[in-house]
Amino acid sequence: MAEEPESGLQLPPSSTTDGEGPTEVSPETATPEPPSSAAVSPGTEEPAGDTKKKIDVLLKAVGDTPIMKTKKWAVERTRTIQGLIDFIKKFLKLVASEQLFIYVNQSFAPSPDQEVGTLYECFGSDGKLVLHYCKSQAWG
Amino acid sequence: MTDDKDVLRDVWFGRIPTCFTLYQDEITEREAEPYYSFPEKDLLHCPSKDAIEAHFMSCVKEADALKHKSQVINEMQKKDHKQLWMGLQNDRFDQFWAINRKLMEYPAEENGFRYIPFRIYQTTTERPFIQKLFRPVAADGQLHTLGDLLKDTCPSAITPEDGEKKNQVLIHGIEPMLETPLQWLSEHLSYPDNFLHISIIPQPTD
Repeated sequence: MAEEPESGLQLPPSSTTDGEGPTEVSPETATPEPPSSAAVSPGTEEPAGDTKKKIDVLLKAVGDTPIMKTKKWAVERTRTIQGLIDFIKKFLKLVASEQLFIYVNQSFAPSPDQEVGTLYECFGSDGKLVLHYCKSQAWG
Repeated sequence: MTDDKDVLRDVWFGRIPTCFTLYQDEITEREAEPYYSFPEKDLLHCPSKDAIEAHFMSCVKEADALKHKSQVINEMQKKDHKQLWMGLQNDRFDQFWAINRKLMEYPAEENGFRYIPFRIYQTTTERPFIQKLFRPVAADGQLHTLGDLLKDTCPSAITPEDGEKKNQVLIHGIEPMLETPLQWLSEHLSYPDNFLHISIIPQPTD
């Protein structure tokens, strides 16, 4: 398994969505990022202080769901769960019709329109939000 | 003898090959009706009753994660979860509360839940809602109030001392007093998903 970089990798900006699922709310002060191709870029330096735009997310596979080569990501606070699901599905090359479930605290599945920033505020620990993902309903 | 209706019926069912031409003055320049399509950006799909049940139970679990570190909800059996949902679905108050009351308890040595499950909805922002960690009891043992919550999460909603009241803070369509303890509100005025859904709207000017 390749060594993971120290800093989280940057999630591609939301402008490349398929139009399925809810749009993410755009951060008011952000300048529009140029849409990048699927290529992943190293995380940029975050300004110090409480209002980091990006939060660290650690993705863990459940059961026989394929494991992502890169597990640690820096994600915009306003990225929705649906956006994250779409991203993981693309990354794992899952078919659009296949379902993917995401769980927090190995206990509940957040609503697809929920922002990861809110989940990080409420359920993050050690500076990151751990999310389990599964192709079937793992925790009901 | 065939009449117009019969001919029309045959045309309708494609039994008579037909070609229609419109005269120029029958053609009006009009914008095409916008095609109704599912508002993907505003609504979640609702594929089945099971999906609603799963969504509801997830909300209850999230609330309990905040209130009790998920201990109470996890100690329940699957049939208790089912009863919670069936009570809500079939509008059975006693059936629902037989289980829900357990979610409203807290250890005797504490003065309330660990954190209060709440979401604040505002008209003035693009954000879907505000949800943060907020304790019902302060370090000195005082119960936090609704006003304390607002001061911490959206201070602009609070009317300044001499100022004019600009907003209404609503739960279930009513304005609770800002001095109401948050713990009490959480136990008694939560929605069935165990969250306090708080709306802040501009003060009506009638």
